[in-house]
Amino acid sequence: MSCPRPRVLLIEDEKQIRRFVRIAVEEEGCQVSEAETMAQGLVEAGLGKPDLLIVDLGLPDGNGIDLIRDVRGWSDVPILILSARAQENDKIDALDAGADDYLTKPFSVGELRARVRALLRRRARSGDAATPIIEFGRVSVDLSRRLVARAGVAVHLTPLEYRLLASLLAHPGKVMTQRTLLREIWGPSYVESSHYLRVYVGHLRQKLEDDPTQPQHFLTETGVGYRFQP
Amino acid sequence: MLMHQLPERFVSWQRIVLAVLACAATTLLATPLLDYLALANIVMLFLLTVLLVAVSLGRSAAVLAAVLSVLLFDFFFVPPRFSLAVHDYQYLVTFAVMLATALITGQLAAGLQQKAREARIREQRTQALYEVARQLAGALALAQVSEIARQFVRYQLDAEALILLLEGQQQTVDEKSATPALRIETHLAYMAQESGKPVRSAELAGSGYASLYLPLPASMRIRGVLALAFPADAADLPAENLALLEALASLIAIAVERLHYVEVAQATQLDMLSERLRSSILSALSHDLRTPLTALVGLADSLFLIKPALPPAALETAQALHEQAERLASLVGNLLDMARLNAGKVTLRREWQPLEEVIGASIKLLGGALGAHPVRVALPADLPLLEFDAVLLERVFCNLLENAAKYSPDGSDIEITAQQLGDFIEVCVCDHGQGFPACGRDDLFDMFVRGQGAAGKPGTGLGLAICRAIVEAHGGQISAGNRPAGGACLRFTLPRGLPPVLEEESA
Repeated sequence: MSCPRPRVLLIEDEKQIRRFVRIAVEEEGCQVSEAETMAQGLVEAGLGKPDLLIVDLGLPDGNGIDLIRDVRGWSDVPILILSARAQENDKIDALDAGADDYLTKPFSVGELRARVRALLRRRARSGDAATPIIEFGRVSVDLSRRLVARAGVAVHLTPLEYRLLASLLAHPGKVMTQRTLLREIWGPSYVESSHYLRVYVGHLRQKLEDDPTQPQHFLTETGVGYRFQP
Repeated sequence: MLMHQLPERFVSWQRIVLAVLACAATTLLATPLLDYLALANIVMLFLLTVLLVAVSLGRSAAVLAAVLSVLLFDFFFVPPRFSLAVHDYQYLVTFAVMLATALITGQLAAGLQQKAREARIREQRTQALYEVARQLAGALALAQVSEIARQFVRYQLDAEALILLLEGQQQTVDEKSATPALRIETHLAYMAQESGKPVRSAELAGSGYASLYLPLPASMRIRGVLALAFPADAADLPAENLALLEALASLIAIAVERLHYVEVAQATQLDMLSERLRSSILSALSHDLRTPLTALVGLADSLFLIKPALPPAALETAQALHEQAERLASLVGNLLDMARLNAGKVTLRREWQPLEEVIGASIKLLGGALGAHPVRVALPADLPLLEFDAVLLERVFCNLLENAAKYSPDGSDIEITAQQLGDFIEVCVCDHGQGFPACGRDDLFDMFVRGQGAAGKPGTGLGLAICRAIVEAHGGQISAGNRPAGGACLRFTLPRGLPPVLEEESA
């Protein structure tokens, strides 16, 4: 089976960071092109049809968030953000604008490779027909029959719990912002009532995780949202 | 020029003399006319005199002139002349009517005159109040307000005034306007401020003490007190003067309130600007420090990817490089956090959430850093939602867990428990290490202070200081202690508050 090498576009103004990111991503078998500015990045993204975008949020000629919005206008290519800022708001804005995941600087090469791998795998899988049965840990979810079982025992979920589960399962590995989840499941008037989301994620963990206090699948991205890790 | 009280042209003895002179003059004028005029017309001349006296000299002069006119008329004109005796008793009627007419017209005229004068004064005062209102509207400082009020009171009432702004227990007298002549009894001023009613002092007027304290009522609250001292002869304040002063007090209050809000608005704007500046400096600093650190960490890692592989010694160096760079990064992170927490107000992004979640996230975040320390979380099942900033509380848990892992033997448990304590939830992070030395536990939470026995371990003494800043920003407290069974125990509290109601779904 000969797959074409995935193309990764790296938009980052700092030369030394580009250097090691390139080395790490090439190690994942990807072909890397680089851009230093937002303008250049947009041109490259349009011409090169990359399979993954790695974007630094603080670009010299503009905000990375604007670039994400622009790209999302015509493409659903996975986008990984590199953020040096401690403020959660930037990450949330970037994720809401359509980014898939983020890494906070400084990050290790190991973390970077894991994220790149996950995003590319999801990209590849999204082409397949969606499988009706999803399995993670000891849990299996039959989406066509709305059945959830843990270690072979049926688990009863309330309608809202099921919808939350389905939303999270639909985007494995992707960071879902609180806002997005609240709007999707409770509706637009609940986007500020984050405690609903937290309580229901707590319910899912109670029912599906082995140790609800130290979850392995329904992960908290503190201050940002949640991520489902298969 | 002083325009206090009624603007009289003559003092009272002058008025009496003038009234007498007027009557005398009428007598002198009428005597040569006696041959040509009937007595009835001479009566008219006297009545005219009384009327004129009443109009020009006031009520008492009019009464005097009326009586005097009757006497003079009787003495000089009614036969027998130059005697008060009367032949024709009809003249008694003339006298009676003349006296009555003179008195009544005199009264009326004098009353009218006084009304007119009062109306003039009122008008003039209204004018002055308008003027003061206009000036106060343009006043830019309290000193100006105070000066305008003092001018007005001095000009209108010949009194001394002082504006007192009493804030809490602190008396901030507008010091520039403090006249040495006007002394204040502070307790009376407070009484006026608290009751919202005028307070009069028992001190004698002219003693140098203020004798009247008027509250300054603005729309939000009473803004202060206007203290007034009157000259000795004006101690009994007429009602219209009090009304005038109360109107003045309202105008001053509005001006003071306006200035207060101007000040508040300016301070807020300044705060906002400096806050914005601080946060932009911090975030630029954060970016500038993290960028090279990121490169350092990443480049050290990428040495492992070089093909053919580097010799093991070089890889060991690369690993050390990576670890040192990460330590530096965490130090920079701590310093920036501390700077942010210390730079004035901490803005919390508070949300209602379960404690359990942030603990789980902290453990996940620390990952390998916890090494061989299993964390046991035992929270009561009925622990309510708490309102906190998850990102900051995650820092607290990470710092506490990291400390616990650092200072306890490998393989020992770290325990996280919570319990309800009145209006607070107390969270404990305990380890099985050596615990804290008996003394000097409280300064552990100061910046750059490190516990005894910490010398051999990496760290900067910022972790607990950050924890304290965060916990205190949430309205809680943090303390360090030892468990009876051994091991350190860090406890912090969070206010319980009133969690929002969760609509249960029917399932």
